[in-house]
Amino acid sequence: MKNKLIASFLAFENQISTETDTDFHKIRSRAMQAFEKKGFPTKKDENWKYTSLKKILKNDYTLFPDLPKNELELKEVSNYFLKGIDSYKIVFVDGVYNPYLSETTHDGFDVCLLSSAIKKTKYQIVLNHYFNTIVSDKDSFSQLNTAFASEGAFIHIYKNKIVEKPIQIVYFTTDTGKDCMLQPRNLIIVDENSQVKIVERHQSLSAKKVFTNAVTEIFANQRAHIDYYKIQNDEEDASLIDSTYVQQKKQSQVTMHTYSFGGALTRNNLFFYQKGPHCNTILNGITLIDKEQHVDNQTNVYHQSPDCESHELYKGIYDDKATGVFNGKVIVDQIAQKTDAFQQNDSILLSDESAINSKPQLEIFADDVACSHGCTIGQLDSNALFYMRQRGIPKKEAKALLLFAFTNELVDRIRIPALKELITNIVSQKLGVELGMDL
Amino acid sequence: MLQIKNLHANIDDKEILKGINLEVKAGEVHAIMGPNGSGKTTLSSVIAGREDYIVTEGSITLGDENLLDMKPEERSHKGVFMSFQYPVAIPGVTVTNFIKTAINAKRKSEGKEDIPAAELLKMIREKAKLLGLKSSFLSRSLNDGFSGGEKKRNEIFQMAMLAPKLAILDETDSGLDIDALKTVAEGVNKLKSKDNAVIVITHYQRLLDYIVPDYVHVLSDGKIIKTGGKELALELEAKGYEWI
Amino acid sequence: MPKKYTETELGQELQNKEYEYGFYTDIESDKFAIGLDESVVKAISKKKNEPQWMTDWRLEAFRIWKKMEEPDWANVSYEKPDFQGISYYSAPKKKPELASLDEVDPELLKTFEKLGISLDEQKRLTGVAMDIVVDSVSVATTFKKTLEEKGIIFCPISEAIEKHPDLVKKYIGSVVPRTDNFYAALNSAVFSDGSFCYIPKGIKCPVELSTYFRINEGGTGQFERTLLIADEGAYVSYLEGCTAPQRDENQLHAAVVEIIVHDDAEIKYSTVQNWYPGDSEGKGGVYNFVTKRAIAYTNAKISWTQVETGSAVTWKYPSCILKGDNSIGEFYSIAVTNMHQQADTGTKMIHLGNNTKSTIISKGVSAGKSQNSYRGLVKVVKNAKNARNFSQCDSLLMGNECGAHTFPYIEAHNTSAQIEHEATTSKIGEDQLFYCNQRGIDTEKAIALIVNGFSKEVLNKLPMEFAVEAQKLLELSLENSVG
Repeated sequence: MKNKLIASFLAFENQISTETDTDFHKIRSRAMQAFEKKGFPTKKDENWKYTSLKKILKNDYTLFPDLPKNELELKEVSNYFLKGIDSYKIVFVDGVYNPYLSETTHDGFDVCLLSSAIKKTKYQIVLNHYFNTIVSDKDSFSQLNTAFASEGAFIHIYKNKIVEKPIQIVYFTTDTGKDCMLQPRNLIIVDENSQVKIVERHQSLSAKKVFTNAVTEIFANQRAHIDYYKIQNDEEDASLIDSTYVQQKKQSQVTMHTYSFGGALTRNNLFFYQKGPHCNTILNGITLIDKEQHVDNQTNVYHQSPDCESHELYKGIYDDKATGVFNGKVIVDQIAQKTDAFQQNDSILLSDESAINSKPQLEIFADDVACSHGCTIGQLDSNALFYMRQRGIPKKEAKALLLFAFTNELVDRIRIPALKELITNIVSQKLGVELGMDL
Repeated sequence: MLQIKNLHANIDDKEILKGINLEVKAGEVHAIMGPNGSGKTTLSSVIAGREDYIVTEGSITLGDENLLDMKPEERSHKGVFMSFQYPVAIPGVTVTNFIKTAINAKRKSEGKEDIPAAELLKMIREKAKLLGLKSSFLSRSLNDGFSGGEKKRNEIFQMAMLAPKLAILDETDSGLDIDALKTVAEGVNKLKSKDNAVIVITHYQRLLDYIVPDYVHVLSDGKIIKTGGKELALELEAKGYEWI
Repeated sequence: MPKKYTETELGQELQNKEYEYGFYTDIESDKFAIGLDESVVKAISKKKNEPQWMTDWRLEAFRIWKKMEEPDWANVSYEKPDFQGISYYSAPKKKPELASLDEVDPELLKTFEKLGISLDEQKRLTGVAMDIVVDSVSVATTFKKTLEEKGIIFCPISEAIEKHPDLVKKYIGSVVPRTDNFYAALNSAVFSDGSFCYIPKGIKCPVELSTYFRINEGGTGQFERTLLIADEGAYVSYLEGCTAPQRDENQLHAAVVEIIVHDDAEIKYSTVQNWYPGDSEGKGGVYNFVTKRAIAYTNAKISWTQVETGSAVTWKYPSCILKGDNSIGEFYSIAVTNMHQQADTGTKMIHLGNNTKSTIISKGVSAGKSQNSYRGLVKVVKNAKNARNFSQCDSLLMGNECGAHTFPYIEAHNTSAQIEHEATTSKIGEDQLFYCNQRGIDTEKAIALIVNGFSKEVLNKLPMEFAVEAQKLLELSLENSVG
């Protein structure tokens, strides 16, 4: 696969641009060289100790899928969008922008495509200032994405804007006849005092194998508030490597919610860089998987300024042969005094074939800090189970309800009501809980 | 209605109940009193079917059915209700949702369809009023952040909704102030009829001022060592457990 | 008005504090030339009059070692030892064949007194039998008679190889195989001495068994090998203390401890490690690369307690393989680092049997320019039902130039596993200090008090005689003028 990617790089460069001396060309070439040198990670890499790529890399993915044969009808996919509310939408089908399903804007702020931003000169300053500036050069998947970066969402919220409508970024994959690999790239910039809510969803609509290697860069400038939600697939043959880099300036607040509902392999790499005092970072995660699915959450929070906070809570439920990984890292630099960092990972294993590997780490170089982490692995509370059975609820249903309650703390934190409903429905459906009817 | 014969039960290989005999008839209220560690909570848990407890000898029957063969939920369907000393919180599941699930599970066991929403709503309103519960209370997560009094009232509310044959109130008075205690007791009294029975398990006598028992049993070291009328409770209150 | 003693001042004092056990005993020493090859391994074996099987076992270990690479995954950085620049054998020349303590070299006795382990006093302390190892050779074992009556074997491992070859053959390398890691392989090839202990079936050892290790000679490595076996239903509490004199060059210490706890048996292993940590510039000090592992069979219990205040670099993970059903593993640790010390320490709890339980309590205190890491693994394999683990790792930071790190690995493969891990990092709170000051306790004393309270859970696990010493050590390594 590595060789194929290297070979395809030239073809790709030719396809998208005829000039070879642009800044973008340089960035891509450098990234390609970095990838060529490092190659794909293996289990020998400490950060890949619990996740093997063998299974997904053995497939022969096509890098340039044919255009989707059938136009997607809105009604076919309406379930995957937020219901009953207005929103901006940037929708891609098999890596290609779908204007029919999308709703973009340039009115007061930009919600559009990276490809079109690259082409227009008026965006050059912004792109030069932000694009590929915080991506880790040690992460070969991110380098690979950069090498092929051409399409994705471009969102730029100017100063002092509160964007009322949520923005949905949706990546659908359909049956294009071949297994394919996609490498979307998102760039999100939120300027001073602005606020935005973004929902990013990866959803495959067919049983074809698809491998997505996504990178998102997010810049939260002073006092910006960003609520970011990731909803990840529930199709079994989809694999996703999703790397998100977030740079926070002073007093900004970024909340990242990650909902992983399955796929052959899902890997989430989150990198947060706190570059000003009084930043607040909140990471929430729900993993709910079964069969032979694998979800690996890697969180890296770099406390590089004083008086910042970070709070992480990840919960996972694993059934059948599903395996989960939580590898959380909080790094507190010497300068980052008065850091308040908290990390918690709770897991429930429902079957003896399932497994969880958890590694909540703290690396602390400042003394005046309050940092803690916790990790629990266990089963359902037997008292709660007995309580429900005493009220006549059969064991199986009681268990499902308790699992639902286990995730509820996180679902409750969703600040878009339509999304809360959507996630509640997915979770209750996956757990076999019937809900509804409230007074 | 309830018949317990020579009941012995263990937890973690330690014998807690050492031969309990008890008969409760329809329409009766029985109080079981005793010092801490005498086996009161074990007794209620064993009747309700908690699986941590192993019954080594004896029998428990409800009507003519052997309870010991049944799972906790099956006993519940047959009309055994236990009010918990420490009700469990279930975040994200509302009081309404929970009770609906419980009622429908019971109906299913009886071969009935799910309860029609309108009927359920009517019943919920009625019973909530009986216990002075506001409708906002009903859409809160079950026992999540409830005060002690709210938890106990919620227990009695569920009892009202499920209309059990046999209600076991396990230390229902603990952690309640006198007003909350009165509300809970009133609720229980309103639900009492000639067809059902109540077992009140308590350390103190004060709840029995409001839920007046027909019989008082004293439990000590896993056995009932004395049985009397309601005056026995007063005597215990005055003299302590040592005099027996 | 008296001048207020500030935390900064204390910090400075701490940095300037010198190692209090840093003296050098002038004992004539029998020392090999530096370097390591097969002939050196053979020579060590010959020097100790070992049987052929032992020589062969060492040579095989040497061959394995030669093929291995030095590990570098720990969170420590140091100049790698030059394995050809070390002398692999050093013993006090007056090879002691001692019947009583009176015959011990008087210079050595003075050493012990300076260490605060005067043998006279030890003799008076009822219930402690001691084996003392200086530069790899055992020089004195006390209380031998009492033990012999019970059938307990407690002697230098060199003696055990000679007198109890079957036991040694059966158990050596059974928990830490020669192939286990770089330093274990090296140790297997060149170990010079160490303690051996065997408690027969059903015997509860009536006294605490204790060994003191000391590196004396410069340019030497110390490679002890400790082998403890509790047969079915047996019990023993074993203590180990370590010190080394002050030297400019780095001394290497690579020990292997193997513990076998048979059905229904229990071993408590406590250690206070106070090797020379180097000076305030980070020069010198001991490299402490140790492999310690225990295997517990059905209903067996193993408990590790360690107080780590010394060494320039520590790399140590006393582990428990909970093989038998209902077996229990415990790990209690205090690691204090100061100046330029680096410690990467923790434990591994491998749950293989059903209903196995493990507890990990780890307390790290970092001061000066030191780095203190906890690294631990809790693993529950697929077939291990009802495994329970509770882990708690707390770090206390003093000053702003040190680091405290936590790297827990938690691997659960069974639905019935219940694992809880908690970790906190904090500094001594201003409000805590102020509270103490207000009650008339000065800052220095207050810090001692707080560190002591912070470590209490672990200190309490130590046997009485040791606890006092450990407490003293903690104070010494952090505080200077606190009495």
